[in-house]
Amino acid sequence: MQDQQADPEQVPQSKLKSALKGAAAAMPLSIAVIPWGILAGSYAIEAGLDMLQSQAMSAIVFAGAAQLVAVGMIKSGVGLTSILLTTLLITSRHFLYGMAMRQQMSPLPLRWRLTLGFLLTDELFAVCSETKQHKFDRWFAFGGGFSFYLIWNIASAVGIVAGQQIPNLDELGLDFAIAATFIALVVPAIKTPSILVSVLVSLVMAVVCELFHIPGGLLIAALSGMTAGMLTAKFTNEAHPNKTLLTRPGDDL
Amino acid sequence: MIWLTIILMTVIIFFSRYIFIEPKLPLRLSAGMVKFLSYSAPAVLTAILAPIVFLQDNTLHLNLDNSYLIGAVFAVLLILLTRNTLLTAVLSMLLFFLVH
Repeated sequence: MQDQQADPEQVPQSKLKSALKGAAAAMPLSIAVIPWGILAGSYAIEAGLDMLQSQAMSAIVFAGAAQLVAVGMIKSGVGLTSILLTTLLITSRHFLYGMAMRQQMSPLPLRWRLTLGFLLTDELFAVCSETKQHKFDRWFAFGGGFSFYLIWNIASAVGIVAGQQIPNLDELGLDFAIAATFIALVVPAIKTPSILVSVLVSLVMAVVCELFHIPGGLLIAALSGMTAGMLTAKFTNEAHPNKTLLTRPGDDL
Repeated sequence: MIWLTIILMTVIIFFSRYIFIEPKLPLRLSAGMVKFLSYSAPAVLTAILAPIVFLQDNTLHLNLDNSYLIGAVFAVLLILLTRNTLLTAVLSMLLFFLVH
């Protein structure tokens, strides 16, 4: 990751400074995820994974929700095919993130794409989209993604070592930490009536899908919200605030 | 068997994160698609947080006994007032654990 100097896309800021800014932007999410990391570690041990396997779940699978669900399924003896299909369903929202980041990330060199692709969690997507109006800064994204990765893995290691001594963390209401942080990211992003419509539709659909146990509800809700936002903008002739910035000269639009 | 599960999960999840940022994938995003995707972040994050706030034990809780809802309303007000993500996250978590 040394030879970026010749790159015309290089941001006029020191790499370390950008990375630290990214880490700082991701910090609320990194903190919110600590209890979940601990839970993921201790739950894996409880389910009968050995220490190396438990850490590998966080280090190479690196997917909070999918990890917890898969470990639960391993624990109750569910077959491999079901685990993998469930994983695919839970992870399907990442296809959307990749598509949304395609313009920013696909021109990057291979090792950057592999790195940022691996680190592309809900949280990194949230952090990157928050700063979308600026030019995409790979070091900022790396700082956010990698600091989140480190904290997730350290928290998991703590959970693995503590094992089953961890009390029922999932009953303390720790999921509120995630909700609060996401609220703090979503609300400032509501800059136009169509985004408000998009968020409200997504909210109602997500609650309804969850209430009726509809598989893939998260993606259904998000796509419904996106469609509603798009249609609202169309019928009200709304100009998107980011539109001019999204279409740089030379982009394949 | 557990290792096989871990490796196959890694492959599926990495694939889902990587495939659309691969330039060789023959996909050109139209202007309409780019606009559609510009709604993805608020919509997805809302879809993740909404069930946490409104549902407990698979029941809708639209009342003031729901500490998640109280905390969420507080978080919305705080972010509107302060525009500070970290401060909002920390203070609303504090309030949540006080009333929870």
